[in-house]
Amino acid sequence: MKRRERRSRRRDTGSARGVPAVIPIINKLPFTEVLDDNGVQAIHQASMRLLKETGILVIDYPPALETFRKHGAKVDGEMVWIDEDTLMHFVQQAPATFSQLARNPTNTLTIGGRNTIFAPVYGPPFVADLDRGRREATLQDFHNFAKLTQMTPYLHAAGGTLVEPQDIPVAERHLDMLLAHITLTDKAFMGSVTSADNARDSVTMAQILFGADAIRQTPAVLGLINASSPLRFDDRMLGALEVYARAGQAAIITPFIIAGAMSPVTMAATLAQQNAEALFGICYAQMLNPGTPVIYGSFLANIDMRSGAPCFGTPENTLALYAGAQLARYYNLPYRSGGNFTASRIPDAQAGYESASTLWPTVQAGTNYVLHAAGWLEGGLISGYEKFVLDSEMLGIMARYVQGISLEEDDFAWDAFAEVGPGNHFLGSAHTMRHYETAFYQHQVFSMDNYEKWEEEGKEDSYKKANAVWKQMLKNYQAPPIDPAVAEALNAFVEHRRAEIRAGKPRSDWPG
Amino acid sequence: MTEELDLTTLSVEELYEVMGDDLYDGYKEEVVEGVKEALSRNVAPYDVLTSGLVAGMEIVGNDFRDGVLFVPEVLMAANAMKAGMAVLRPLLAETGAPSVGKMVIGTVKGDIHDIGKNLVAMMMEGAGFDVINLGINQSAENFIAAVKEHQPTFVGMSALLTTTMPYMKVIIDALKEEGLRDQVTVLVGGAPLNEAFAEAIEADAYCRDAAVAVETAKKFAAIRRQRAAAS
Ligand code: B12
Repeated sequence: MKRRERRSRRRDTGSARGVPAVIPIINKLPFTEVLDDNGVQAIHQASMRLLKETGILVIDYPPALETFRKHGAKVDGEMVWIDEDTLMHFVQQAPATFSQLARNPTNTLTIGGRNTIFAPVYGPPFVADLDRGRREATLQDFHNFAKLTQMTPYLHAAGGTLVEPQDIPVAERHLDMLLAHITLTDKAFMGSVTSADNARDSVTMAQILFGADAIRQTPAVLGLINASSPLRFDDRMLGALEVYARAGQAAIITPFIIAGAMSPVTMAATLAQQNAEALFGICYAQMLNPGTPVIYGSFLANIDMRSGAPCFGTPENTLALYAGAQLARYYNLPYRSGGNFTASRIPDAQAGYESASTLWPTVQAGTNYVLHAAGWLEGGLISGYEKFVLDSEMLGIMARYVQGISLEEDDFAWDAFAEVGPGNHFLGSAHTMRHYETAFYQHQVFSMDNYEKWEEEGKEDSYKKANAVWKQMLKNYQAPPIDPAVAEALNAFVEHRRAEIRAGKPRSDWPG
Repeated sequence: MTEELDLTTLSVEELYEVMGDDLYDGYKEEVVEGVKEALSRNVAPYDVLTSGLVAGMEIVGNDFRDGVLFVPEVLMAANAMKAGMAVLRPLLAETGAPSVGKMVIGTVKGDIHDIGKNLVAMMMEGAGFDVINLGINQSAENFIAAVKEHQPTFVGMSALLTTTMPYMKVIIDALKEEGLRDQVTVLVGGAPLNEAFAEAIEADAYCRDAAVAVETAKKFAAIRRQRAAAS
């Protein structure tokens, strides 16, 4: 009887098909906070002052200036100033929680509240692995990372630019990346933000996949819109944001700050600036289309004063990460921050410590959307194959951690105490037999072997172990089935656009 | 802490040494004083530049490369150097002394990353180069116009995005079309670049960081001077 139960549970996990089911994360723990109410107020007030007195520079994008002017902001040249009432009137229209469609409905995301979503690394021009070292990323690498993402139960979203496929011409790259996300994974994906046209292509592909009505109802595309800190937005980002907002799609508005260079060196000023920039972008999205789903973003590193390079996992970053979460909650908005950050080039001790030093606060802050949760190396210049696997192990640990301590009757294990009594071990007790499989997080990569065994088996460190793991994951990978008609329509669109782009034609409207 | 020092009691060699210390500490006014004192002794302006300012900044550059100095300290030093240069510049022009070199630098179109580019500009200025910093998001037309206006010896281009890197080639092609390519040495940089890319777009060199940029520029400038002397 018991045995049959166990077997059926195994079947449920989907391991028989080789593709593990996604494990959602709902944080049951109290969030860590570093500011009291007065602190939150002080940062809020400072941001309002920055927006009203210092203002935001909007470069090369007159339509945004016009939108701000029309809705009551003060505009002069490319500068925009906005007061608290006008700003908050719009910010309040953003939803506190929203859904993002995934091809597999069980992978549709809820963004906000106590949910935490992990998405893989975004943007690196290079990849690296133990066998071949660092090299320029290709579309093949992109496919590999998409497959690894699909195979990782702790990655809830497919992410966006997993690597920059440098073997594909810049103008058409986004098509290949989107097609890969849609066909190789069945998780929610991110759209292109490199131009308004590319954003439009992303929306069109989502329409083909889900239907135009469906994505009007519930967004399917998430765009990563960065402020060009300090206090500046550019045409590419605002142009892409405009496309997504008007199409009812979602966006992460992230001030991307390397404190010391792109903001003052103090965290109070940096947080005020970050808050001002995020709210400005969020306000703009609401002006374009009230209710546009947005995520309050924070990417906060600080500069290495000796070289100019970004530093990660520092105590200052950590404090700001927590404070950012508090501010997002203050405005009732979902929060994006953190990841498995490191400045290190290989998955060495530095990478491990720095990544852990950002991942723990990311989770403890109650972050809702975590980009760069797996694979990040060298300050975002490298997507690392082994790092991806090692990071995923940490994500699994987090997934367990956020469940907190269960206090049900059975959790007190009275029958085990009765059965075993003082001085004996619990390994064979009925209570243990009922729970041992799930009681403790089961490591996938980290090894607990003793020295002699480890030595005998070739002294594999975690770097080497992870190398074997990703290769095995790629072998086990199975493509999620897709309706052949939809796949055909997607391919047709991609080839149509590719031809247009190659012929130097502007974007034509794709019927449907 | 500066102790009162009577510059007039020092030899020229000692003066240079003090100038080096003042540069290192980022003392703008003191550097200017030192330059003026040296000039009052009829030292050639070019000598004050090379043996005083440039030599002093070399130590700053080395200590930055070796992680001893902080970026803001180097910025202060570079500003002190610039102040000294401001005194020397008209005199250098008058005496027809060779200049260390002039660079037009910018981040290419579509790209707004400028922390690295600004570091390079700062270090180049610190090494005595005249730097015209065009800023971010610069089109080929802007680069061409700046080259025509300022007649630089170097063009520096920065890109941090793989999507904007190809634009560097557009600028180099435009330089060729305008017949300006041979007048300038093109240095390129930015995290996603490498030597192979620089070669492919026919830039003269790729520099991985600001220290290497200065070293490379100095090397090219020396070659130029040798050529000029030979011809
Ligand atoms: C800071 C930063 C930003 C800031 C830039 C602010 C600013 N004022 O510069 C902001 C937030 C605006 C930004 C925006 C974006 N960014 Co950005 N950004 C970075 C980051 C983290 C650090 C860059 C940096 O300043 N490094 C520190 C300096 C000191 O180093 P450096 O620039 O390499 O410069 C040194 C050398 O390269 C060299 N050098 C540089 N230039 C030159 C020039 C010459 C002539 C020479 C000789 C030498 C030289 O010397 C310098 C000093 O030693 C990098 C990741 C990284 N680790 O590099 C991503 C990164 C470059 N960004 C990236 C991306 C994708 C973007 C966005 C598209 C993101 C988005 N969706 O919004 C936008 C694009 C905006 C635009 N239109 O350009 C990607 C690019 C990868 C790719 N695919 O090509 C990276 C790698 C991060 C990532 N994984 O996503 N970004």
